Amino acid sequence: MAKFVTIGERIHCISPVIRKAMAERDPEPILKRAKEQLDAGATYLDVNIGPAESDGEDLMKWAVQLLQSEFDNVPLALDTANKKAIEAGISVYNRAKGKPIVNSADAGGRIENIDLAAANDAIVIALCSAEGIAADNDERMMHCQNMLERGLEHGMEPTDLWFDPLFLVVKGMQDKQMEVLEAIKMFSDMGLNSTGGLSNNSNGMPKHIRPIMDSALVAMAMMQGLTSAIVNPCDLRLMETIKSCDVFKNNTLYADSYLEI
Amino acid sequence: MPFTGKSGKFSAKINTVTVGTGDKAITIGGENVLPFYTFDDAIANAPKVGIEITDGGMDNEPECVKKYYEGCSTAVDMAKKAATFEGVDFLSIRLEGGDPNGENKPTEELVQILKDIADAVDLPLVVCGCKNVEKDGELLDKASSALAGKNVIVLSAREEDYKTIGASAGLAYKQIVGAESAVDINLAKQLNVLLTQLGVNGQSIVMNVGSAAAGYGFEYVVSTMDRVKAAALSQSDATLQMPIITPVASEVWGVKEAMASEADMPEWGSLEERAVDMEIETAAAVLASGSNAVILRHPESVKTISQLIKELV
Repeated sequence: MAKFVTIGERIHCISPVIRKAMAERDPEPILKRAKEQLDAGATYLDVNIGPAESDGEDLMKWAVQLLQSEFDNVPLALDTANKKAIEAGISVYNRAKGKPIVNSADAGGRIENIDLAAANDAIVIALCSAEGIAADNDERMMHCQNMLERGLEHGMEPTDLWFDPLFLVVKGMQDKQMEVLEAIKMFSDMGLNSTGGLSNNSNGMPKHIRPIMDSALVAMAMMQGLTSAIVNPCDLRLMETIKSCDVFKNNTLYADSYLEI
Repeated sequence: MPFTGKSGKFSAKINTVTVGTGDKAITIGGENVLPFYTFDDAIANAPKVGIEITDGGMDNEPECVKKYYEGCSTAVDMAKKAATFEGVDFLSIRLEGGDPNGENKPTEELVQILKDIADAVDLPLVVCGCKNVEKDGELLDKASSALAGKNVIVLSAREEDYKTIGASAGLAYKQIVGAESAVDINLAKQLNVLLTQLGVNGQSIVMNVGSAAAGYGFEYVVSTMDRVKAAALSQSDATLQMPIITPVASEVWGVKEAMASEADMPEWGSLEERAVDMEIETAAAVLASGSNAVILRHPESVKTISQLIKELV
């Protein structure tokens, strides 16, 4: 099995620093966050430019070229609701270190992003929801099937759809947590890849608690077969947990310095 | 559904390492498929075969090897002769006379032998220490310095002395560092990590992951090599993508099949034949498990293994 893929989430226009840097095309703050995440062990970097309705295409191209030229063609997840911006980003994307990821499609209004990924030989994150969160795993797996068929119809490899069960917040939806983990097992049993915004589970919890909850969940999810997650790689405890789980799963060979590499 | 065959070639590949200089330089590694899987993709560089001599010259050679070196008196004579044998890609010099528990020859004397050999032959060289950690620290340091610019493989840096050998052979004199572990996959990886953390270029490291004569715990050797290649290729583990060099001679020529006299073991037949058989069998098996180079002693073994490689690659 391949090593767990971490997608660094910290280049996000919700952060005021990043939003300003994107608006002004100021490389420094973006490169700084990219470097921190890569040094901490991120494989992919997510580039969230928000809805970017006015200048999305230009902005995404700029961001892709900036990051890939500075960091040896680092693989990227292109994250925006603006489809033209994703296509523009892919048009200048270098695949040497991995295919681009389209973030994201769902089984409802955004299902066409699967077509977009297929047309551009990209990976797509496929959220198992349509209008609102799936009520149960029957609904989740129905969405999964629909999106899988859509991808296959358009000539995608099944492994290029990374299914996202939608991690749910513990505070308020504690009783749904095991269901999410069971959905991951079902993806895994079908030989499918999976990912998701894992830290959503600890939303609203005190800062010192979040890494503990996130680490526990990632270990349980990896046991179920989760192959990737969108995370903050600067969370040391989380990254150490992922690396340790990769050892237990025989995804990587153990060496005494395994945490340093 | 129609059957679509899938190629077993990997996106990762073994590092390419060039040993020696000039026309006789050899290149090992570079493959992106399992050993000899030429049907999946072309093997970038065929495995290479080296011949081993020691600082002791003729005194250290088994009777059945001596006849090939007729007329030689010193290690330098032998090196010149060895370079003419069929199938020899490189020369390995084992400085076993340096062992403090043995002859304990002074470092200067051993280094002089190396220098003389390097002047006399243009084959790529592998320098093997005497296995004593303390002496090797000094010996391999001076050897690396004396052979600066010759781009030799220095065997070896172990867990106990990787800092000394890595700093000297790898950093100061830009030789190729041989990282040695004794049939321990985790340590094999760890040593590469430690050497690169020390600053040694990962592209200038080769691994000796340990060996044994066929039949002597050999399945552990095979599973170690298999696991190393699997990590390097299928898991793209950059800390294990170094080519593997396996000293076969030093294992084989110490086991009873290669030593017991015909008088003691008449039912085993010719001593030379069974010794050469052991060497060929072991070498063929470690090559099939992923070794990129083997070090042998008997000229007939060298010739046979070299032909085997030519036929398969």
